[in-house]
Parts: sequence; structure tokens; C-alpha cells
Amino acid sequence: MTAMTGCRLEPDVIRAAASGEWTSSLRRHAESCADCAAAAEVGPWMEEFARLDDREHILPDPAVLWLKAKLMQSNATMQRASLPMTRLQIGAYLAVAACWASLLTWKWSAIEAWVKSLTPSHMVMASASAQATASLTVSFFALVVVLSSATVFVAMHTILAEE
Amino acid sequence: MLAEGALIAPLFVAARATTAPRMPNQPMDEARFEAFYRRMAGKIWSYIYRMTGDASAADDLLQKTFFRFLRSNPVIADEDHLRRYVYKTATNLVFDHFREAKRDRAVAIEMPQSDFRADRGELRHDMMRVFSELKPQERALLWLAHVEGSSHEEIAESLAVKTKSVKVMLFRARKRLGALLSKKGLAP
Repeated sequence: MTAMTGCRLEPDVIRAAASGEWTSSLRRHAESCADCAAAAEVGPWMEEFARLDDREHILPDPAVLWLKAKLMQSNATMQRASLPMTRLQIGAYLAVAACWASLLTWKWSAIEAWVKSLTPSHMVMASASAQATASLTVSFFALVVVLSSATVFVAMHTILAEE
Repeated sequence: MLAEGALIAPLFVAARATTAPRMPNQPMDEARFEAFYRRMAGKIWSYIYRMTGDASAADDLLQKTFFRFLRSNPVIADEDHLRRYVYKTATNLVFDHFREAKRDRAVAIEMPQSDFRADRGELRHDMMRVFSELKPQERALLWLAHVEGSSHEEIAESLAVKTKSVKVMLFRARKRLGALLSKKGLAP
């Protein structure tokens, strides 16, 4: 016997147990070796079990498997290739959102006053409205235009990239 | 009947070690894959089917096995190595299948009964029932050792266990099967 792989005669015993063709020395060995005795005990049953006819069965066509595997591989490759672009898009969305948040925070009081000035009661008080509108500078409106363009650009890029 | 190249479980594959073809060390093309598949698919299907007792699961896992095989971009020249890789992959997928079934609790770990109707033959029914009473690892050990004629090293690789553990595990599996056969009055 070998410590690592069991008895060296085990394959012979399995074969003999399955075929019923024993040599006297092998039979003697199987009687004295616990591993081989156990193998000989279940060997014939395992042989019979393996010989059972399986149900009528059509195995998948290898050509179809090959094509499917190649398709899956190319999909995976495409996903891997588009990963940097996806990350870039997420980064762009975050940057645009941060800019919008900063802009709104910076000019919140002026925007609030301007929105309030749009109600009918405030419209009567034209001077108040004029004051509120005055606090929203040209640069603010320019920033709104730039950020809106950037938002549309990022959104369009996402849609086109998906297509 | 089985499809071409799908002959079920030739015992021991006695000539395997001597006749396993050597392949050139280059990526597997479609023709080479087809040849390899036709040699292996029937055996792998039988192995998975005997392990799970579920023909549709065997179909599914067989496909997954070969998808994984192809995804690994096999370039190894030695077909024995490819064979071991396929058995290892199939074994992992079968064990995953059992784990998922256990987690879902929708499918019992035991083999489904629908495939083992008595009208397929009492003997077949009884044998499948006995085999299903073994643990999945014991089924794999016995099939690989007795039907595929795998060495302890090959079994260890397929089951991801230590080679020296195989001897003990195999002995226990045989004893357990022997006890089950005696209990059911099926001992040879």
C-alpha cells in the first residue's frame, strides 16, 4: 500500500470485481487488504449501476454550444470594454449634479425671492420683483445654460452609447 | 437511444490512460472542441445524472460545464488534463446545484422521484434509490473511482480535497454503499 494513493492493486481489484475475472493472488490480496475488500464488495454493483440504460437522451449539439459560448464570450468582452465608459458616465452625472447643487445653494435665497415674486400678490408690488430679479445676475443665467447643456449632453451620450 | 458519442459510462475506461490523444498546444478550435465534446459529453451527462437524478438538471449542468470549459480558453495539450478539468467543473456545478436547492428549499437534496418511476424497471428504480441515499460527495467518489477509473489524485482534483483524504473517504463511501446494499437486500 502507498500512504498517499491507497493500495496500488486497487484498480486491478476494481476491474476484477467488475469483470469477475480474478487471479488467485489478487483474490488473496483482496481478502487481506481492507481497501480492496471494500472495493470488491461494491465493485459489481457499481458496474451494474453504470451499465443501466439512461433514458432516451439527445445531447446538445456541440456546434450550438460553441456558438452560444462564443456569443457569451463576446458579450462579456463588450461589457468589460464598456466598463470605463460607464464609469466615466457615472462620474459625469455626479459632477453635473454637484454643480447644480452648488449653484442652487449659492443662489438659493435669490431664487426663492424670485419664485415668490411670480405669485399674483407679489406681482402687484413691482419694485420687490424687480429687486429679486436684479439679484440673479447674468452670470447665474449663463451658468444655468451651461449646466443645462452639460446635463443634456451627458443624457444624450448615455442614450446614444446604449444604442 | 443516446446521441452519437454519448455512450453511457464505459466501465473503467480501461484504455483511457494509454489512448488519450495528445493535442497540439494551441487554442481549441470548433472542430477540436466537437471531437472532444463527442468523446466526453455522454460520460459527463451520465455522471451528472447519476449525481443529481434529474435529467433536466443534467442537461442544464452539462451545458454549463462546457460553457465554462470554453470560457477557460483551453490550450492544454494533454487531453487527460482537459478531461480532469471537465470533471472538476461538472462536480463543482453539481455541488453548487445542491447548495442552491438547499437554499431555495424548493427542491429537496434527495434525487427527485419523477425520474425514477417503477415503469422504467424495478432494478433501475432500486439502484437509483440506493445511490440517492448516499451523500453527493460519496456518489462522486464512487462514480469516479469505479466507473471512470480515476486515480486518487484525479478524484482529489475533481472534488477539491487532499489526495490523502480520498483513501479514507472512498473507504467510507464503499462501506456505506455496502451497508445500504445489505440493508436493501441488493448486495451482490
